[in-house]
Amino acid sequence: MKTTDIPLKDPAVSAAAGDMEQLERAYIDASTRVPVLMFYTSAIAWLIVGTVLAMVVSFKLHSPDLFSGISFLTWGRLRPAHMNVMVYGWASMAGMGTAVWLMARLCRATLRFPLLIAAGAVFWNVGVLIGVGAILLGDSTGFQWLEFPRYVAVILFVAYTLMASWAVLMFRHRRGEQIYITQWYLLGAFLWFPWLYAAGQLMLFVVPVQGVLQSAVTWWYANNLLFLWFGAIALGTAYYMIPKVIGRPVYSYHLATIGFWTYALFSSWTGMTRLIDGPFPAWMVTASIAATILTMIPVATVGLNHHLTMQGYFPLLRYSPTLRFTVFGAMSYTVFSVIGVLISFRSVASYVNFSQVSIAYTHLGLYAFFTMTIFGSMYYIVPRLVGREWRYGSLIKLHFWASAYGIGLMTLMLLAGGFLQGANLENPALPFSESIETVLPYLRGRSIAGILLTVSHFIFAYHFGLMLLGLGRTSTVPTFLNPVEAETSGGH
Amino acid sequence: MKGLAPLFLGIFGTFAFSWIGLTVIPTWQIGHLSPESDEEGTDIYPRPQSGMFKQGEHVYAANGCVYCHTQQVRADYIADDIERKWGTRRSTPRDYIFDRPVFLGKMRMGQDLANIGARAPAPEESPAPAGAASPAPQGAAVSSSPAEASATAGPPSSPAASPASAASPNASPPPGQGIGVASPSPGELANTTPGGSSPVAPSAQSPGAPWPIETAGLPPMYSAAWHHVHLYAPRSINRDSNMPAYRFLYEKRRIAGERSAEALQLSGPDAPPEGWEVVPTYDAKCVVAYLMGLNQSHSLKDVRSVGAAPAIGGAPAPAAQGASPAAAAGGSPAAPKK
Repeated sequence: MKTTDIPLKDPAVSAAAGDMEQLERAYIDASTRVPVLMFYTSAIAWLIVGTVLAMVVSFKLHSPDLFSGISFLTWGRLRPAHMNVMVYGWASMAGMGTAVWLMARLCRATLRFPLLIAAGAVFWNVGVLIGVGAILLGDSTGFQWLEFPRYVAVILFVAYTLMASWAVLMFRHRRGEQIYITQWYLLGAFLWFPWLYAAGQLMLFVVPVQGVLQSAVTWWYANNLLFLWFGAIALGTAYYMIPKVIGRPVYSYHLATIGFWTYALFSSWTGMTRLIDGPFPAWMVTASIAATILTMIPVATVGLNHHLTMQGYFPLLRYSPTLRFTVFGAMSYTVFSVIGVLISFRSVASYVNFSQVSIAYTHLGLYAFFTMTIFGSMYYIVPRLVGREWRYGSLIKLHFWASAYGIGLMTLMLLAGGFLQGANLENPALPFSESIETVLPYLRGRSIAGILLTVSHFIFAYHFGLMLLGLGRTSTVPTFLNPVEAETSGGH
Repeated sequence: MKGLAPLFLGIFGTFAFSWIGLTVIPTWQIGHLSPESDEEGTDIYPRPQSGMFKQGEHVYAANGCVYCHTQQVRADYIADDIERKWGTRRSTPRDYIFDRPVFLGKMRMGQDLANIGARAPAPEESPAPAGAASPAPQGAAVSSSPAEASATAGPPSSPAASPASAASPNASPPPGQGIGVASPSPGELANTTPGGSSPVAPSAQSPGAPWPIETAGLPPMYSAAWHHVHLYAPRSINRDSNMPAYRFLYEKRRIAGERSAEALQLSGPDAPPEGWEVVPTYDAKCVVAYLMGLNQSHSLKDVRSVGAAPAIGGAPAPAAQGASPAAAAGGSPAAPKK
């Protein structure tokens, strides 16, 4: 089949149209058009659903009587629904979209059977839809991060195989000897996820482990999903986008190698920090704390590498949307990891373990780090798929600032509130309800942050909708955030 | 990086390392625990649960209680869980061997529930429906030594005197009823006659009464009837409560003939209009049965109970152990908080 038959505009082929390389890229981009747009469209639809759910969850937490009395709108169902929509609906689909596109570009191979991948995406959507419905109707498994019932897991697994196998198979058809850093991360993510998901499902539902080990498996799964699936995709994306946009090679391959392997080795061992002081053998928790501290090695190497690549090019952040989102994401990776280390110390964890701090941590990872990086990649990739440039620089700017301030405020509120909540919780002189009273104002602040994020997501969805309908600008120059006076190397 | 082989091997290797290290080896280490018993092979703990408890576990999972409530007591040298009367000893892996799914939890927007069943006034008080499923073996630890319990139980918390009528309509209050939450005035206790719908209990709230603050006219704290009221209208019990109401687990219906024995004792704005009553659905009864069954107060050999001699070779154990859960059970009026 020919994907170019799909009635969309051809990707923009810029000034050097005769250039073979440009043509080749355009051809590869075209082969990924249907599946990647499909991934992105469903991801953004889920993002909107998840955002609305998030708002209700956030408001209900400090106004518990809101919608109470309706079973499927009870807080304890909306919360997992929100989380699963974001994790499996938005983040996984958006991540796969970006990853498939990057894989095709970097393997310099056209994506084979793109419609089969699109079919996989449909299955995945159906799976998430059924799963979320099941949670709302009270069929949650009760395992955090794995609330989808077993039958949904089967659907997701089949869908995933349909989608990811082609991305991995592209490797067989790649051209060029060099395997770029991004490909390590993506290949890792594509291979880790199915193993992780299968291991989680097997050990919880098929051959269930005993007692507290279910919790160990759950948090092992959750942290690895965060690091080895979302984190790996985001880091791979950043390694592609930053050098690409500024038009300069990555500072050091050597650093990148160290960063990748230490990341794979240490971050996969961090899960048990969520279980500090729980009924577990001490060595499990200690091993995870040690691993968390050691994740400072990949953080330092990756951060340094990005920083040195960007050195001298920071002014470009003024113009390129992709760069701005991606650099924000890359910096958040450092913040996310440092906070992860701080709250994993036993002395700190005994205070904050059961407080809102863990929510702040998850959002730092999934939003500030992963989602912002993926937004950046979408701003780069979508114009190349629809053949139009983003219509309004101002909307992109608004999206960025609402997102950045939103997640910043949210993290601040949850961290500050969580620390106070934890401190009061560990003060036996105060009644328990005091710890809740303390955190409530911060939760209201979080709801305000949530409004900012909601605004930003609706703006983005609208803008993306315009692009999808072919209402973007026809131009050979990418849309910049601010008018460019002199010529710049940004954009393409 | 040259070649695919090292890349693939590395990707699989690092993951396998983590998988084996954090899930397979722990399974080998603590994945096959069995219940503990004393020398005669009796007094087995923990015991598998069934029936309403299991169904209640589903209701607990379905409605996401785990997102606000933990079920783990941390050691006294780490945190103040035990000081908060959430348990008498730290939780151990053995406590959870029959839990599926296990609800350790990661958030305390609500209280820890690991021992919520042990905090019930006294097992005899459980209402008929929940009492049927309320696991006797664990509750036995509390009831076994009423004398010690009454000795340690503190001054009254007046809600104890409120009618347990709806709770146990056809069982006259057993002698041990007032134990966990002893009342000063037997006359008030006598008020709790079967079927008697004595309206509002004497609201002689002592000023420094522990949480919950507004308990006038309510069933004894942490009793099954109390849980039902709390689930239906959390803020009628504690003004500051942040818990959502679970009204969809209850049915409001017109009283047909006689008022149902199961009807909730509601007052104020939450009370149904005249001629109506609020009764729990089967799911509500199950989740309360589940809560009443949550009890880690039984001593274990490998962990020290607070206020009890170490169980290993502990000869004086029975009395001391019997007393400690009860002291924790009665809403702990003895321990002045605040």
